[in-house]
Amino acid sequence: MVGAFDYAPAIVLLPFLSFLVALAGGKYLPKGGAFGGIAATAGSLVLSAWVFLTVSAGNAYNETLYTWVAGAGEETTRLTFGLLLDPLAAMMLLIVSLVALLVHVFSLGYMNDEGETGLPRYYAGLGLFTASMLGFVVADNLLMAFMFFELVGLCSYLLIGFWFRDSGPPSAAKKAFLVTRFGDYFFLVGVVAVFATFGTAKFAGEGAFPVIAEEALAGSAAEVTTFGFAPETWFTILGLLILGGVIGKSAQFPLHTWLPDAMEGPTPVSALIHAATMVAAGVYLVARMYGFYALSPTALGIIALVGGFTALFAATMGVVKREIKQVLAYSTISQYGYMMLGLGAGGYVAASFHLLTHAFFKALLFLGAGAVIIAMHHDEDMWNMGGLKERMPVTYYTFLSGSLALAGIVPFAGFWSKDEVLYEALVHGLGGSPLLLAGYAMGLVAVFFTGFYTFRMVFLTFHGEPRTEVARDPHGVRWNVKGPLVVLGILAATIGFVNMVPVQDLTGIHLEFLHDWLAHGELSALTAEHYGELLHDYAHYTSADVASYVAGAVSLALALAGAGLAHVLYNVPEPTEHTAKLGAVKDLWYNNYYQDEYQIWIATSVVLPLSRLADKFDQGVVDGVVNGVSSVSLFAGSRIRRIQTGVVSNYAALLTLGLTALLVVFGVLGGWFV
Amino acid sequence: MTPLQTQLPTWTAVAPTLLLGLTALVLLLVDSIDPDSTRPGALAGIATLGSLATLAVAGWFLLAGTGQTGSGGAIELYGGSLVVDGLSLFFTVVVASVVAMVSLASYDYLRDRTYQAEFYSLVLLAATGMSLMGSSGSLATVFISLELASLPSYALVAFLKDNRGSVEAGLKYFLVGAVSSAVLTFGISLVYAATGSLLLADVASAVGSAGDLVGIAGVGIVMIAGGFAFKTASVPFHFWAPEAYEGAPAPISAFLSSASKAAGFAVAFRVFAVGFPLDAVVPMGIDWSLLFAILAVVTMTLGNFAAATQENVKRMLAYSSVGHAGYALIGLAALSGGGPNGNVMGASMAHLLVYGFMNTGAFLFIAMVEHWEVGRTFEDYNGLATRAPAACLAMTVFMFSLAGLPPFGGFLSKYALFYEAIQGGFWWLAAVGAINSALSLFYYSRVVKAMWIEDPTGEFDLGATPVGLYAAVMVAAVGTLLLLPAFGPVVETAQSAATALFA
Amino acid sequence: MNQWIAIGALGVMGVGIPIAMMVVSALLRPSVSEQGKTVVYESGEVPTGTAHVQFNIQYYMVALLFLVFDVETVLIFPWTLIYRSALEQGATLGQVLAPMLVFIGVLVVGLGWAWRNGAVEWIKSPRASRRKTERQS
Repeated sequence: MVGAFDYAPAIVLLPFLSFLVALAGGKYLPKGGAFGGIAATAGSLVLSAWVFLTVSAGNAYNETLYTWVAGAGEETTRLTFGLLLDPLAAMMLLIVSLVALLVHVFSLGYMNDEGETGLPRYYAGLGLFTASMLGFVVADNLLMAFMFFELVGLCSYLLIGFWFRDSGPPSAAKKAFLVTRFGDYFFLVGVVAVFATFGTAKFAGEGAFPVIAEEALAGSAAEVTTFGFAPETWFTILGLLILGGVIGKSAQFPLHTWLPDAMEGPTPVSALIHAATMVAAGVYLVARMYGFYALSPTALGIIALVGGFTALFAATMGVVKREIKQVLAYSTISQYGYMMLGLGAGGYVAASFHLLTHAFFKALLFLGAGAVIIAMHHDEDMWNMGGLKERMPVTYYTFLSGSLALAGIVPFAGFWSKDEVLYEALVHGLGGSPLLLAGYAMGLVAVFFTGFYTFRMVFLTFHGEPRTEVARDPHGVRWNVKGPLVVLGILAATIGFVNMVPVQDLTGIHLEFLHDWLAHGELSALTAEHYGELLHDYAHYTSADVASYVAGAVSLALALAGAGLAHVLYNVPEPTEHTAKLGAVKDLWYNNYYQDEYQIWIATSVVLPLSRLADKFDQGVVDGVVNGVSSVSLFAGSRIRRIQTGVVSNYAALLTLGLTALLVVFGVLGGWFV
Repeated sequence: MTPLQTQLPTWTAVAPTLLLGLTALVLLLVDSIDPDSTRPGALAGIATLGSLATLAVAGWFLLAGTGQTGSGGAIELYGGSLVVDGLSLFFTVVVASVVAMVSLASYDYLRDRTYQAEFYSLVLLAATGMSLMGSSGSLATVFISLELASLPSYALVAFLKDNRGSVEAGLKYFLVGAVSSAVLTFGISLVYAATGSLLLADVASAVGSAGDLVGIAGVGIVMIAGGFAFKTASVPFHFWAPEAYEGAPAPISAFLSSASKAAGFAVAFRVFAVGFPLDAVVPMGIDWSLLFAILAVVTMTLGNFAAATQENVKRMLAYSSVGHAGYALIGLAALSGGGPNGNVMGASMAHLLVYGFMNTGAFLFIAMVEHWEVGRTFEDYNGLATRAPAACLAMTVFMFSLAGLPPFGGFLSKYALFYEAIQGGFWWLAAVGAINSALSLFYYSRVVKAMWIEDPTGEFDLGATPVGLYAAVMVAAVGTLLLLPAFGPVVETAQSAATALFA
Repeated sequence: MNQWIAIGALGVMGVGIPIAMMVVSALLRPSVSEQGKTVVYESGEVPTGTAHVQFNIQYYMVALLFLVFDVETVLIFPWTLIYRSALEQGATLGQVLAPMLVFIGVLVVGLGWAWRNGAVEWIKSPRASRRKTERQS
């Protein structure tokens, strides 16, 4: 029986095909190869939906498809490619392919209609980006995940630097590449360490590394190499190494600095990066190997703390930004902070839920911002906008839907998921973990800031009187911009209904479909149920009894307070800048807490001298040795060359002598002539 | 379902070898029809097709499991004089692939030369001998097939009759070859004296009880090893190699340094693994694996050191070929009674297959450069990439693959070889090999540097593109690249074939 | 005692005696140089010309072809001897006859090629005939 799983590789291959087509023949195709990309992502979406339905029916798929390196013998490490399709992967496939499809359509309006050049390169990049992310999502082992993770990073570099003739984009692309690479370095070490420890990097199934780790901690069978550490310590170290890559990709503190700069790329690309691909990859990775993290309370605590801190930290910076995309960028960092907080707090479902809702509303916001940017003739400064509400209603209402979701206003999607993340942090924090409580507190404060900066953005952009000529007579947008916006707008408003825990608690109606979806499955080691047990047994998480609607009410109140403050300050016909009132804090926020500066300082005054020292060592000692060796070799070579005299009788003589010498030596050694 | 090849009569197991011989005869017949016209296309086509057919049949047999452990074990013909099993088919595949590339490339190389039919038929006759070498189950067929491979080779090296270098190289090759053949024959006679049989299986059972004749058996074994060392261009029988490879027409250099060397190893693998089992001979004091270990170390060191100081690219490749013989010798050296011998030898076989592609490609690139009349030294190659980027890219692939850099086939094959040597407990051999590989990177990268980085010293006048040569070089390059992902199955096939020898 | 010592002794003697004889005679004999002593010995005949004579390449060609037939004969002889008894003992005609036919067939192809390429044609080399006429005149 041929089922959805047999076609699953095509989900990845279709966008890859569109990459090849756009690369090879984009010049000759209409619209620079856009239709190929749209067709491919639509195909992926259909297949993803089919996979989703199949997975819904209770199936799962975990197969190795291709072994590209196999040691000889049975008990050796194999490097493989394979597919792992469980509820989490199926959900993510749907998100990625849907957002990618909408971004492709939107690009028709953003890139083609604006007469950009280099479109084949653009669509090729989008295709490869989508393909790599889809490949990452279906990866069944850590190494394959790492490879696609790197491909995702490469594509982000290519697309952020799309306008490489300007000065900003190339340097932003380089920054994104280098900063994420810094994190990936730890990830790579982690991958190697996982192989060294467990001899496998499979996520699920028989002998998967989270399973082996669990067995090792439980003390049952399974030899693991822990390099002299206690297993708990070593697993924490492994988890943190891989977390390095996650922090880089998901733009968590302190490696978040690349993301705001990445706004230099085309806006549809930003939407793709922020909503479904690059940044989501980090969080998805933690969720993918949650069975491993759940074993280490220390790693979880660090994840939660980093997440909570980032959520607050980024939200504060978003408050003072002038450009619409900058605000969105910081909101992304902040929202991914929530997801990390959720994961760290043991809220696997909550974090996945937030990943889902965020993907839609953030894609929506970016595409909306893109529409505004088209309208404003590529002016991104919000202080030059205003009053766009009447002139572009479709954009306004969809953007508003996304903003309400982002701010976490009931009943929009963001409310349900963010609330659940905070709830998980709260109950597990009260259950005896001060780290989680600290994370919760920061997350809660960030809710206020989120509400504020979101509506500051909405009011400055759409409300009031137009502040410039351009804003008075904006450039119109076509169906290909409005279509994706409408789709996402509806999703942003409704997707949260799949998991309304507070309502369930209040009314008793069964409404937590996502919980059920993630809690069970054929691969029992990958279910939320199993994670719950792990958290309880190994991370010693216990839940306090707090009603979910109470926590929800608190965060809703804070969000409304933030939005209300924005309303008071900015929803006036002629808004003025209030940032000066913040005093020194404004400079601090405006300069992003001097994060870039201190990283540059580290680079120039710590790394550079060290590199110089290493260079000296390399030039002096290593090269000295190497040069010495090579001159000895060359000398020896020229000697050896002289044996080859060119006189054939010499050869015969040497040959005979050599044979005789061998005969004599072996005869004497072997005692043949005794 | 019974596989088709088990329904065929047993003698068809040698079909690949017969096909090679038949192609040679067809070429002679075609030439007999009208000796005065050259017909380069038809001749090259027949030779290429014949070798491709051989490749197809041998590959089919290999995949279908003919003569391998899975389907009834080795097929013995003529009372065990010929043996068809995984090893012989594997090396027939190597030889046939090299012959196919060489024939394709020769179409352009031989343009405007006379005696083309003779050229192709000699190549195919030599290939027949090489293929037969892998199937030899008796010392008599070993000698006959070795001579069948050698005699056409002498003529082929001297093929450029008006070129002093070619004729001189041919004569030297012939003289050294004659000495080596004498040594081999003498060795065979001594082994026969000690064991009373020429059949390898009988030799194996008799050699352990040679008793007082251990000295005779020992001298015989060392001399046989010497005869094979000539064929594989190993020290101290390597003297012919640099001169012959340099003087010969470049496609013939490719043929000799890849196929002929592989065939030498094929016959050495079989004779030593089957005929002189380590379990039996080492207690007597005949430790041939130690002999090969010494030869391996000396050969790879000498080859690489000498290659490092050459000015002439073709001669550099000739010495590097000697060095690679040293690596492949690890397959005979890192053996011990009861060790994972099949894995080591299989890794060496896989290396020879990869080597067949990358080295043939490198020599064919030289052939292309000779065709363009660019010059022979490193300086002459300066800036060649500006004029012929595709070919230079292919050459870069060959060079880096020969040096054993990822991501090319040569990386994995060398890695597997050293890895298996370490697994067998011969870490020092692997270490010497690794050091030599590092040294080899020096002279291989000189070629790459000259082609891509240096500025051209003068104008190139390359003329028309030689289609056949280009195609052959590209085939070799693609083969070298494809053998990276395909290396897993290749090495598994080779290792199971080699393990069957030790069983 | 090892029997190899005897072989070693034989070797030493075999090399030693001729060398010793040459050395002793070189020490004892008087040295009288004379032209006749340096001349190549040709069974009492007075040699004409040097020993480095170039033969016509065609001699070699014929010799090679002769060798082909020679080897053929070596194989055919034993084959004819066992032919009848092999048939009597139940071998089929194909098993006995076919290999020899194949063998001869291969040789025929080679011979045919050599024939067509003029290996058996005795071509008069212009230089040789010129020399002959020069000598006659």
